[in-house]
Amino acid sequence: MTPARWLERALLYALALLLALVILGPFAWVLSASFQPESAIFKQPPDWIPNPLSLDNYVYVFTGRVPFKTDLSSGLTAGITGEALFIPTSLGNTFAVALSVLALNMVIGTLTAYTFAREHFRGKALAFNFILGSRLLPPIAVAIPIYTLLRVLGLLDTRLGLVLVHSAFTLPFSVWVLTLYFRGLPREVEEAAFVDGSGRIGALWHIVVPMAAPGLAAVGAFAFLFSYNEFLFAQLILDSIELKTVPVLLAAISVNPDATYTLIAVGVMLAIIAPILLALIFRRYIVSGLVSSLER
Amino acid sequence: MQAWLVILPGLALVGLFSVYPLAFALYVSTRRLLLTRPDQTPFIGLGNFVDVLATDQIRAAALTTGLFVLLTVPGVMLLGLGAALLLNQRLRGMWLLRWIILLPWAIPLVAAGVMWRLLVHGNFGALNGLLFQVGLIGSYIPFLSDPRIALVAVAVAQVWREFPLAAILVLAGLQTIPFELHEVAKVDGAGALARFRYITLPLLRPSVLVVLVYETMTAIAVFDLVYVLTGGGPGNATTLFSWFAYAASFKLLNLGQGAALSLMMALGLILLIVVYLRLLPSEEERA
Repeated sequence: MTPARWLERALLYALALLLALVILGPFAWVLSASFQPESAIFKQPPDWIPNPLSLDNYVYVFTGRVPFKTDLSSGLTAGITGEALFIPTSLGNTFAVALSVLALNMVIGTLTAYTFAREHFRGKALAFNFILGSRLLPPIAVAIPIYTLLRVLGLLDTRLGLVLVHSAFTLPFSVWVLTLYFRGLPREVEEAAFVDGSGRIGALWHIVVPMAAPGLAAVGAFAFLFSYNEFLFAQLILDSIELKTVPVLLAAISVNPDATYTLIAVGVMLAIIAPILLALIFRRYIVSGLVSSLER
Repeated sequence: MQAWLVILPGLALVGLFSVYPLAFALYVSTRRLLLTRPDQTPFIGLGNFVDVLATDQIRAAALTTGLFVLLTVPGVMLLGLGAALLLNQRLRGMWLLRWIILLPWAIPLVAAGVMWRLLVHGNFGALNGLLFQVGLIGSYIPFLSDPRIALVAVAVAQVWREFPLAAILVLAGLQTIPFELHEVAKVDGAGALARFRYITLPLLRPSVLVVLVYETMTAIAVFDLVYVLTGGGPGNATTLFSWFAYAASFKLLNLGQGAALSLMMALGLILLIVVYLRLLPSEEERA
């Protein structure tokens, strides 16, 4: 290897390391803070590595056992808040809502997109553009009307209401990506299935869905992540604390003067585990979904 | 006919949460509707639009939003482009970076905002701690409570959150550029810079444009970050347009003006999309 080539390579690795630090640094700090009492991160400079490493904040969230008794006398904050005890419940709520949104997107999205990809009918272009065009409305512009609509329907402060709203916001993307995907699949295999006597639904289920698995995985990951992460509508619709989703509860805890910052850090860590795992495991499908959305 | 039946559930769901709300917003925007006096909702035509346009706050919010776009979009684009070029290098171990780069984008925006609050907090925080430790500052800086710095702090969080998306999309564009093009140019004696200027950049133009417009829209519509990082403050230093519209409806309880503001923002965003569709070469031109 020539010296110039060696230098180039060293430079690239240095840049890569810098990029990795920029991406992971914030995560590392919050992870570290979550294992400390608040007094430790208020030191100047703070303890970068927990010393000693303490699980007290996590124990409090899951059992309600008050952390860091000595901290309470320091007068910085009350140190605890009952809101944090709802983090496990909120995780359950978030999963229930996000999985329902995922399921609705899969079923309705597949049926709708398959119809757009294979059937010819009057008004098809209009219906397709209508579904896609609905995405042009920024959420904040329809927030109040959706709030009043849900009130009329009696769906305020219900998870069902939130599931419907999230599904309405994710379906256009799902239909768009899946229609493109189905169009790209060869017709011949389905037609062979018809000859063998299976109906449209049978062919869709046994032939098309398995072939479209990567597209479905991308759409599913997107729908789940959108719903898991969505804040504005979750905040407007869910009022009871035992129904709140993770982003809403985390936002509430983060502005609650009674919560220690290290307890807030625990909230962040618990909130991001699922999306991080999903992003790492489904990376390939998410990227291909992002790229196909770029064609729009 | 049967086809319509199959697409009906999807159509109905999407329509229920777009057509009705849009009509309702148009209706409300022409009424004086204060939640403090819900029994009186007189028709006032464009009065709400006139009223909000006449206030100083809307000019301030528009200016702050513009400044925020100028602070974030170039940062997102440059960092995204740089990261994409780096990720495109054939280096051992680069897959690791491609694997983790999506993380800031995948987590809830609220969580990203809270993370950055813990990072840039004035009384503690990793940034203050780091600057203090290496001796650049003698005492901690209140990043979020200083009106001159707060918007920059929000912008930094936004750039951290968004640049991975730009990087991934530009990287996808980079990977469609045939390797042979670079090889041929190399044989013809073109240096790395010339190849970047005359091959990479022109071929990347479509993906960069899409990302540029998408990121501009994201910056204009940003809401969650402001909510958890600053709540629009200190004063109105970080009152971006979407926060302003939200506050009109849900803090001042003036639904008519809130609807007018939201509709103006929606119109602005749609105009932006139209402009970008014009800028993009159409399918035929590309083929």
